[in-house]
Amino acid sequence: MRYRVQHITRYAYGSPVELAAHMVHLRPRVQPWQAVISESIVTDPMPARRTDGLDHFGNHVTWLFLDLPHADFEVTSEAIVEVDRWPPGDPAATRDWESVVEAARSPDGWEAAEFQFGTPMAPINADTKDYVAQSFTPGRPVLEALLELNERFYTDFRFRSGVTTISTPVSQVMQRREGVCQDFSHAMVSGLRGIGIPARYTSGYIRTKPPPGQVKRQGADQSHAWVGCWLGPEYGWIDVDPTNGIVIRDEHVLLGWGRDFSDVSPVRGVILGGGDHSVLVSVDLEPVDEGAAV
Amino acid sequence: MTTGDQPLDEMGDGRGQAKPHWRPLLSSMFSLGRETLSERARLLDQAFAEEGITAILPGERSVNWRCDPIPLLLSAAEFAQLESGLAQRAELMELILQDLYGPRNLMAECLIPPELVYGNPAFLRPCCMPDGSRGHRHLSFYAADMLRGTDGAWRVLADRTGQAQGIAYALENRRILARIVPELFQYQKIEPLRPYLETVSNALQALGVDDAGGAALLSSGHSDPLWFEHVLLSREMSIGLVEGGDLTLRDGKVFLKTLRGLQRIGVLFRRKDGNKVDSLELASGTGVPGLLDAIRGGFVRMVNDAGSGLVEAPGLAAFLPALARRLLGEELRLASQATLWLGEGAVVRTVLRDLEGWLIRPATDGGARPVVPMLLSAAERADLASKMEADPGGWAASVAPIPSLAPCVGETGLDAKPIALRMFMTYDGNRWRAFPGGLARALSEEDALAGRLPRNAVSKDVWVMADESSMVQGVLGLTTPMLAIRRTAGDLPSRVADNFYWLGRYLERLEEAARLQRAVITRILRPMPSAREISELEILIGSLGSLKMLATEDASVLGMGMLSAAVLKAFRANGGMPRVLAHVARQVETLRDRLTGEMHAVVTRSLRELGEAMRKLPPEPNARTLEAASHLTTEILEFAATVAGLAAENMVRGGGRLFLDFGRRMERAQAIAAELRQVLDQPGALTQPGRVETGLRLALELRDSVITYRTRYLAVLQPAPALDLILADEGNPRGLAFQLVAARELLREIVEDGDSLLLAVEPLLQETRDIVQDVLRSPDQMVTTALLPPRLRKLDQAIAAVGDRVSRRYFTLLPVARSLGMDSEPRRGAA
Repeated sequence: MRYRVQHITRYAYGSPVELAAHMVHLRPRVQPWQAVISESIVTDPMPARRTDGLDHFGNHVTWLFLDLPHADFEVTSEAIVEVDRWPPGDPAATRDWESVVEAARSPDGWEAAEFQFGTPMAPINADTKDYVAQSFTPGRPVLEALLELNERFYTDFRFRSGVTTISTPVSQVMQRREGVCQDFSHAMVSGLRGIGIPARYTSGYIRTKPPPGQVKRQGADQSHAWVGCWLGPEYGWIDVDPTNGIVIRDEHVLLGWGRDFSDVSPVRGVILGGGDHSVLVSVDLEPVDEGAAV
Repeated sequence: MTTGDQPLDEMGDGRGQAKPHWRPLLSSMFSLGRETLSERARLLDQAFAEEGITAILPGERSVNWRCDPIPLLLSAAEFAQLESGLAQRAELMELILQDLYGPRNLMAECLIPPELVYGNPAFLRPCCMPDGSRGHRHLSFYAADMLRGTDGAWRVLADRTGQAQGIAYALENRRILARIVPELFQYQKIEPLRPYLETVSNALQALGVDDAGGAALLSSGHSDPLWFEHVLLSREMSIGLVEGGDLTLRDGKVFLKTLRGLQRIGVLFRRKDGNKVDSLELASGTGVPGLLDAIRGGFVRMVNDAGSGLVEAPGLAAFLPALARRLLGEELRLASQATLWLGEGAVVRTVLRDLEGWLIRPATDGGARPVVPMLLSAAERADLASKMEADPGGWAASVAPIPSLAPCVGETGLDAKPIALRMFMTYDGNRWRAFPGGLARALSEEDALAGRLPRNAVSKDVWVMADESSMVQGVLGLTTPMLAIRRTAGDLPSRVADNFYWLGRYLERLEEAARLQRAVITRILRPMPSAREISELEILIGSLGSLKMLATEDASVLGMGMLSAAVLKAFRANGGMPRVLAHVARQVETLRDRLTGEMHAVVTRSLRELGEAMRKLPPEPNARTLEAASHLTTEILEFAATVAGLAAENMVRGGGRLFLDFGRRMERAQAIAAELRQVLDQPGALTQPGRVETGLRLALELRDSVITYRTRYLAVLQPAPALDLILADEGNPRGLAFQLVAARELLREIVEDGDSLLLAVEPLLQETRDIVQDVLRSPDQMVTTALLPPRLRKLDQAIAAVGDRVSRRYFTLLPVARSLGMDSEPRRGAA
């Protein structure tokens, strides 16, 4: 499936900003199942300095520095991306989840082990752990348990925007059973880590219009987030979307991953001056024909 | 040499004799005698307090630095052995950091468990170089806390790779000890310490990027517990002392904001939490947004690297022997105190079986206080054990040490106390070199064995005894790196100018308040105040009220008792006087690096004494207390005069002093205008000329101008001549015009030629002359004078506006930094 992504973030400031430094995670990451055909990041005003590089997790990062006074700032990223992920395979044939926990502690699991530890936004938490443990019963094949958990998030939690903020803790999300994709992803990551399974927070997009005959996915028109889960050294990582109760195949475009939102926040910055500010975000992910380019 | 579990005696040779290198010191100690030594210990405490090696911020906990008169001695051979061991450890730490922030092979090879890295808050992921390319070192400075065991071997209890702090305290210990107890230094050959600063300085210069500007010490500011060290090091090495807000980035390069524009910085000597250096990529707050990008770009170097604290993790000690073999192909020459990481297998059970034999620390936090289970109650021990069982990987256990003993001066003689030793290493571009001294500390039970620097514990100077033969060899055989040309970032940072300006204003405010208080107290103390004195009191109370020195509703001239209590309230805790005093103290502390040591010492001592005198005022609001308060106001006025004199004698003309003086002039000019308005702004003044006269008389008194007036005009008080003296006479140093002329002259030195700010003062001076002329020409001077208050208010505001223009131009170069995208905006769908 080939997509055209357009992601616009626009800040309007109450008074001119003298200096600004932005760090954006907006360039899609290349994977065996995701090819980036073309991409661009354009800002208005133009930055005085731009650096592109990789972060610790291997994600693309772009740093943008502005040193002339400006009243608004807009960053637009566009990309043509081809995604085609193979189906997850037979869940019943995967190893039992306890052995995945063991493997993460073995020499084979040292890289995945990074995602076993709690972080400020996805801490080890008794509520999320208990919720996850209901699906991860003793000896159960890990993928079977994970798919059930993903399904439970989709049915038990209500998607509702505007009720949570970046600082809403997962414990509150568990209590209220509502929020947005970042909240569900943090809660799921937190619970999986609680039982010892490496889990990472993944940032990207989901297609704006559903395939013909299907319901519109939640989290479209905005940045989206989902969960990567480690199934052992042979299988590696699988991505599931608890907000929509699906396994990532060809409806998502990946930007990057980290331990939680703060590692891969799409746009963040520090400004000097500016007074009150407002921010407008628009995201569009549309299928395009083969051969299309930005 | 030693027997069983008896602690080793640093001084003794184990056969009842003193070690040879201790003998000359011992004989000096004995000839001084016990009482003299105790006396010198007291003098040392006093000297450190006087030098301000204690924080003096009122209302905040002060840190008393103490030094025992008796040093800890290391023979030349012992020192050489320690230097070699520490150099190896420092290099090992460097190699571990290069791996962990690069390819992380050591984890893939299972030589370091993921918990100590991925589970370590000191692992700063933005400092990683995923492509492994990194041309420079992580560490230039390293320190280690060591204990000497019963077998006579020193062992490292904590590695300090973050900021390796404490050298300045070691230097001060030596300097002050030599002054207070000079007798001990006779007939001794001790390695000198100061030349080592050259090594540190060269290490910084050697890191410089091409011709990319000077080095600066990046401090977390005057609230840092070790602020004193930042000041001393930056001064001794002639490098700028900067805070995050002083730096700005342009095109990836780092600049210091100074009054004369931006100055390039090439090397940052980090004395700030690594996690707080870049508010874009690390913790939000006082960092420089984009600093890590500048470092990655090679435009600036930071030492030690922001992420270097990672290898302070106590749990790492368990893996160092294997790491030394893997990375250096060597055995450790200086071992750690035997340590286990509890995350492996059944190790935690081994330790819990015999908890009292261990020292317990969080596995990743080298700064945490170690827990000594031996000192815990049974309940506390059980609590600790359950925490350890719940998360074994979070803990490290070291064999409980039996530290060696060294003589310390106690209450009644010499006490043998357990000691720890911190030594410092610097990489000079070729090799690691040890500071020929150190910081020893006497351990007490409540004092953590390996926490941060001692706070209330007693430190000891460390003497490395020079071996004459090696000294000669040393000089000849040393390969000294070529001395780099020293560049300094010396121009006045905008923040510093701002601090001087406010120090000037607060000093003046203090003086103004003291002047008013004294005038009030004098009148209250008169046995039978006259009607005129009572109306003067009413005016003065109003003035004190507008300075927030008194709540006017508390004070009535009808009840002298109430009035006394209200006036005295200003001197008591949370009153107006201690508040202004605290403002002055804070500015002085912030400017410590900009004042000479003598000036800082004199000012802080006076501030402390004034604060103490206020606290000691008796609670009763009676005449005796008022007398004491009046005496205090005189002392405050003397203090203000002393500071002015010190500034003239000790501060280089230009830079900071210009702003100090400018602040004082502006504050005083505003105070005169406001005060005159207050004394004239009275009910019934228009119809009662006596009220205007009273006001003017009072104004002359407050301006110390009564005598001048009498000399000129005898006793006849007329408005125009009085107003001339107070407002327009440029020759009266207590008058308004004098302040304005002085401010104008200062501005000439501060701003560029032709700047419009230079013209800002002229209209103010013209207005003072116009006021006097208008009164002089009017048919009824008293009535015209009584109508002046609104005009004086405008004048006051116009003066304030000039101050604001200067302040906007020079100080607020940049507004406050704020974060985007990580705040608490409601989530809509995403982002």
